[in-house]
Amino acid sequence: MDKVKVTGLKKSYGSNEVLKGIDMEVREGEVVCVIGPSGSGKSTFLRCLNLLEEITAGKVVVDDHDLSDKKSDINKIRENIGMVFQHFNLFPHKTVLQNITFAPVELKKQTKAEAEKTAMGLLERVGLSDKANAFPASLSGGQKQRVAIARALAMNPDVMLFDEPTSALDPEMVGEVLGVMQDLAREGMTMIIVTHEMGFAREVGNRVIFMDGGYIVEEGTPEEVFGNPKHERTISFLEKVL
Amino acid sequence: MRIQKKITGFLVLLIFFFSFAGSLVPSAQAAEAKKTYTIATDTTFPPFEYQGPEGDYIGIDLDLLKAIAEDQGFEYRLQPLGFNAAVQALQSGNVDGVIAGMSITDERKQTFDFSEPYFESGPIMGVDANNSAIMSYEDLRGHRVAVKTGTEGATFAESIKDQYGFTIITFDDSPQLVEEVKAGGSVAYFEDYPVVAFGIAQGNGMKMPLPKEKGGSYGFAVNKGKNAELMEMFNAGLANIKANGKYEEVIANYLGESFASEGGEIEITATERMSGFELIWNSMPAFLKGMGYTLYYTIVSLFFAFILGLIFGSMKVGHNKLLRGVATVFVDIFRGIPLLILAFFIYLSIPQALGFTMPIWTAAILALALNAGAYVTEIIRGGIQSIDKGQMEAARSLGIPYRTAMRKIILPQAIKVMVPSFINQMVITLKDTSIMSVIGLVELTQSGKLVIASTYRSFEVWLVIALMYLIVITILTKIADRIERRVSRG
Repeated sequence: MDKVKVTGLKKSYGSNEVLKGIDMEVREGEVVCVIGPSGSGKSTFLRCLNLLEEITAGKVVVDDHDLSDKKSDINKIRENIGMVFQHFNLFPHKTVLQNITFAPVELKKQTKAEAEKTAMGLLERVGLSDKANAFPASLSGGQKQRVAIARALAMNPDVMLFDEPTSALDPEMVGEVLGVMQDLAREGMTMIIVTHEMGFAREVGNRVIFMDGGYIVEEGTPEEVFGNPKHERTISFLEKVL
Repeated sequence: MRIQKKITGFLVLLIFFFSFAGSLVPSAQAAEAKKTYTIATDTTFPPFEYQGPEGDYIGIDLDLLKAIAEDQGFEYRLQPLGFNAAVQALQSGNVDGVIAGMSITDERKQTFDFSEPYFESGPIMGVDANNSAIMSYEDLRGHRVAVKTGTEGATFAESIKDQYGFTIITFDDSPQLVEEVKAGGSVAYFEDYPVVAFGIAQGNGMKMPLPKEKGGSYGFAVNKGKNAELMEMFNAGLANIKANGKYEEVIANYLGESFASEGGEIEITATERMSGFELIWNSMPAFLKGMGYTLYYTIVSLFFAFILGLIFGSMKVGHNKLLRGVATVFVDIFRGIPLLILAFFIYLSIPQALGFTMPIWTAAILALALNAGAYVTEIIRGGIQSIDKGQMEAARSLGIPYRTAMRKIILPQAIKVMVPSFINQMVITLKDTSIMSVIGLVELTQSGKLVIASTYRSFEVWLVIALMYLIVITILTKIADRIERRVSRG
């Protein structure tokens, strides 16, 4: 069953067309890694999947909800789509625990006590139980990103979107974040990951999508895309990054 | 839906704002039952009107008005506004009459109806008592003289300035003329005879080298064709008190027996000059009261400015183009109009055009609130936009609605950015209340003007007033700093 189904997706900023017609779908439990040169539209594509970017044309269906339909309640749909950002975007005026419990309590998914219990469980999962009462400013980049993942998971989403989650990290912290994501993948979470970590994409991804110039140029299993790329542009891109 | 709510909220506020302003205007029906006339006067025209030692208004005009009102049995409320503001308030219908040592001129008769003259005046030249170089009009050649706007002195100086080759500088208040001459900016000043004589009697260090010119007379004024019954009563009362000796009593009280009986010279007996300390000590109650008003108007204006800022600030950061445009126009208008002009416009022009009356303090608060509101809008917009876009995106990606995200995620962070600017705006608005003295609002600056009007002691008074502003603003900023530290910590 398709968790995410995208048909004919186009996105323009004024006269500048960034996405020129994307078709793809993601099955439940699948881990899709999106790779490509910067400016290829991969981050914009990801942000269209929870409507952080308005869709110019085409159709995006997540969990049987049509995002492109103006009548659908976008807040309700977003509750089921977790997102992790390149720059973490933790709330600096809230503690780690408050960052995680904010949405579930605010949206009345859980009582404060329940939410805190869940949050402590999530913090244990990402290895940060001791930081519950710390403020984000006192955390390292890797710790921040792990809290951000826990915050997204607190809403118990069906799909997780990752927008270059390790790009802003010092190299020695990339591992701890990828480790958490790998665990998540193993537990069967449906994930779409925009990444520059080719090793991770090859190891954890069920499918790899190569984007360039606003199109999906090539897609397939990691073995196909990395081992035997068919398209000219894929080959030249992989030559540069591998 | 969201936009609709915003617009409704905005309309509700507007209605609240204006009904609040409207409720301050006495309703026409109430006025019908027992007419209390509002009569405007100058603040600084001794001996006709000035503030006595206890801060109450005294003077020939006011004593005559009181005697006439008692004689005729009508009620009135006195509004000391300053001469220009009083005349403009009469024109705009904000007051019923003006008694302010107002010369009866043909030009003014076009706009106003005057009573029988109640005082014969005439312009005279005043010079520094130590200056023996200016003994005639001829000596003024190549120099500058000071006059007060709209007085006979001004008209007379204008009429002879080409003949004697001097230039003219114009002021709003009589004491400023004396200060100007004392400071040496002008060599002489022209002003109505009783005013100059009275000032000299108060020991202002001036003298009158020449006799007074033939001049016009003072009359009580109402708007042309309006308040005929008030004018009738004034004339009848004036005749009565002239007949029963009350009139002479009043004049003698201010200008001495000889002036009243002979209709001529003022007995000049310089009163003892108070020490600076004594002056300030005596004026302090009035100053403290003025400071109280200044703080009060600051707080009330900032309260409304804050509400305006919140509304227009959130419109400015919102997605609706129309609302954004409305907010931009609001900011452009009220940031672009000088506060002084805005005050005149709200107090004088709008009531005149729409035919209603507005109390001074309502006009002052409106002007201050709209002006500060424009700046607060920009502070709020700037504060919100200074917060990283990722904060809003992170909150929205969790399913949090826009308003909740704004209130719980963006604003708490933005407020920390805004606090120093808010403190700055508070200080500016507090100082700006002094501008409202031009429409006659009683606050600290106006209290200072009034004391100077009767004492001619501008150095001491402005020094103390400046120190009072400085002290209060310093205390407020210290408190604000402490709050700011607490906000940025928590």
